[in-house]
Amino acid sequence: MKSTLKNMVLVLFGITAIAALLVGLVNDITKNTIAQTEQRNKDLAKLEVLPEFEGEPQLEEKSRKIGDFNINVTIVKAQDQLVGYAVEAPSITSNGYGDRIYLMVGFVEQEGKAVINGVKVISQKETPGLGANMTNEGNNLERSVVGKDAAELKFAVKKKGGSFDALAGATISSSAYANAIETAYAGYLWAKGELPSAENATSGATKSTQESETNDESEAQKGDLSNE
Amino acid sequence: MSRLQLITKGIIKENPTFVLILGMCPTLGVTSSAINGMGMGVATMAVLIMSNMVISMIKNIVPDKVRIPVFIVVIASFVTIIEMLMKAYVPSLYASLGVFIPLIVVNCIILGRAEAFASKNGVIDSALDGVGIGLGFTLSLTAIGAVREILGAGSIFGYTFAADVMPLLFILAPGGFFVLGYLMVMFNKIAKR
Amino acid sequence: MVETNISREVIQGFATGTISVEAITLFAVVIGAIFVNNVVLSQFLGICPFLGVSSKVNTSLGMGMAVTFVMALSAVVTWSLQTFVLVPFGIEYMQTIVFILVIASLVQMVEIVLKKVSPSLYQALGIFLPLITTNCAVLGVAIISVQKDFDLLTSVIYSVSIAIGFALALVLFAGIRERLEVEDVPQGMRGVPIALITAGLLAMAFMGFANVVPLP
Repeated sequence: MKSTLKNMVLVLFGITAIAALLVGLVNDITKNTIAQTEQRNKDLAKLEVLPEFEGEPQLEEKSRKIGDFNINVTIVKAQDQLVGYAVEAPSITSNGYGDRIYLMVGFVEQEGKAVINGVKVISQKETPGLGANMTNEGNNLERSVVGKDAAELKFAVKKKGGSFDALAGATISSSAYANAIETAYAGYLWAKGELPSAENATSGATKSTQESETNDESEAQKGDLSNE
Repeated sequence: MSRLQLITKGIIKENPTFVLILGMCPTLGVTSSAINGMGMGVATMAVLIMSNMVISMIKNIVPDKVRIPVFIVVIASFVTIIEMLMKAYVPSLYASLGVFIPLIVVNCIILGRAEAFASKNGVIDSALDGVGIGLGFTLSLTAIGAVREILGAGSIFGYTFAADVMPLLFILAPGGFFVLGYLMVMFNKIAKR
Repeated sequence: MVETNISREVIQGFATGTISVEAITLFAVVIGAIFVNNVVLSQFLGICPFLGVSSKVNTSLGMGMAVTFVMALSAVVTWSLQTFVLVPFGIEYMQTIVFILVIASLVQMVEIVLKKVSPSLYQALGIFLPLITTNCAVLGVAIISVQKDFDLLTSVIYSVSIAIGFALALVLFAGIRERLEVEDVPQGMRGVPIALITAGLLAMAFMGFANVVPLP
């Protein structure tokens, strides 16, 4: 079709208006469903990271806002017995390769220890085939934490002196994962009112590990050969 | 060209990846595993079929000079709509493909087919062209993804057979270029027969 | 109290409700965008012009300059649109459509203005401009800048650095391809396949930059 200024403006404007209208319409239709689905997935994840139990769960929610992030702690009880803590936490001090990594971490209490029962990735935007492997079942990262006492974990990849087996070629993603576990554990302690104060964290026997770990976090950002 | 040919031509004769050499960015970017390649291929095919149909419908009212911007708006809208629909109704599929969806906008195959085919042909033919080219794209991406996954991670479609011994290089950026280059040589050799 | 290895920053975060993340220096942004995460060789954006235009060093330079120009402009426009229109009106979901439309019209406008204002510059860059609309790196970078929450200055510097990285890859690659033309390449490898394998080698070389700066 021959172009005149009039028909050019008319068609471009018309098509854009129709497109915008359609997209807006679909957004309106899907908005609630998307929010519901996300909420349902989170609710499912809460129970998935905790051991199986009988009876109806009783949930108690606690939430802490740090900057733009929310750390949501759910205390799950069944038949008046504590099942465990499901903590939803982002990697607050360390970014993944794509974005923050959000994890759901389940803590159960055994002999006074906080044992990590399960981990589920809520959201991540890491590279497919590298960092995104953290969503696979039984991956290195998951294996490094499940069944472990959270108090004994060092929240960095092994290469930087931590306790996390990094995913192949994905040091930054793995470090962010470790950071999300760290945040979740802090959230668990916070919910119980047992979070050590900042002074305690750097005093006494833990001092040396604290210092090296602070370095680790900046180091971890650099990544390895893969840039990931 | 018969309608059957429209569907089959994309697989060998006009294979978008190996022959037309279009859409190289997603081809290299997402093929770190077979399933990812396949997912990207299918999502692209869906957008391609719909955008081809709509562009073929509106081809007569669009002035030449604003052709490209109009096509781009149509494609971008479909991508956004598909993303929202998937997020709402097939969340598990979205979880595995989510990161690729916005990348479809920048896939030159779709704009390329709009220009070369849909803006000159009828609605049904354009839809079939979308199916054919989309099929070819899906097959190529799955093949590249499979080769990279086997060589780089020692697994195929997620089933690991040789963990941690294969050269990771094939999953990283250079491996993408190498595998695509060598597969292209092999494809041309076979296709010429 | 339990003995833990939780870092001071995280504990202070819980205590104060705020977290300060160390700002990334502009220097790191520049080096990161040009070398570490080279747009073509590690992020796989803009491959089409990379393979298509890069057979001569001169044309590669021209293309690189045109892309730099458009990316700088598009960074300003898309950043402003995102901050002042999309976010306040709550229509972030329109991002893809708005951005691609802006880039397409920007390219056309640059072409028209350049033709009137500076015919010599138009002569040098003109033929590359229409190709830029289909360069996925431009849209990709606009979206990445938004995702990373850059401010206007960082966003512009990031986009220009990405474009310089694109130009660098293009020119380096063209240099190699000019030599390749006189080499005796096996029949089946000629053209795109050998170009891809060369690009793979170049990508391997760029992997050496991986540990230079923290990534933005």
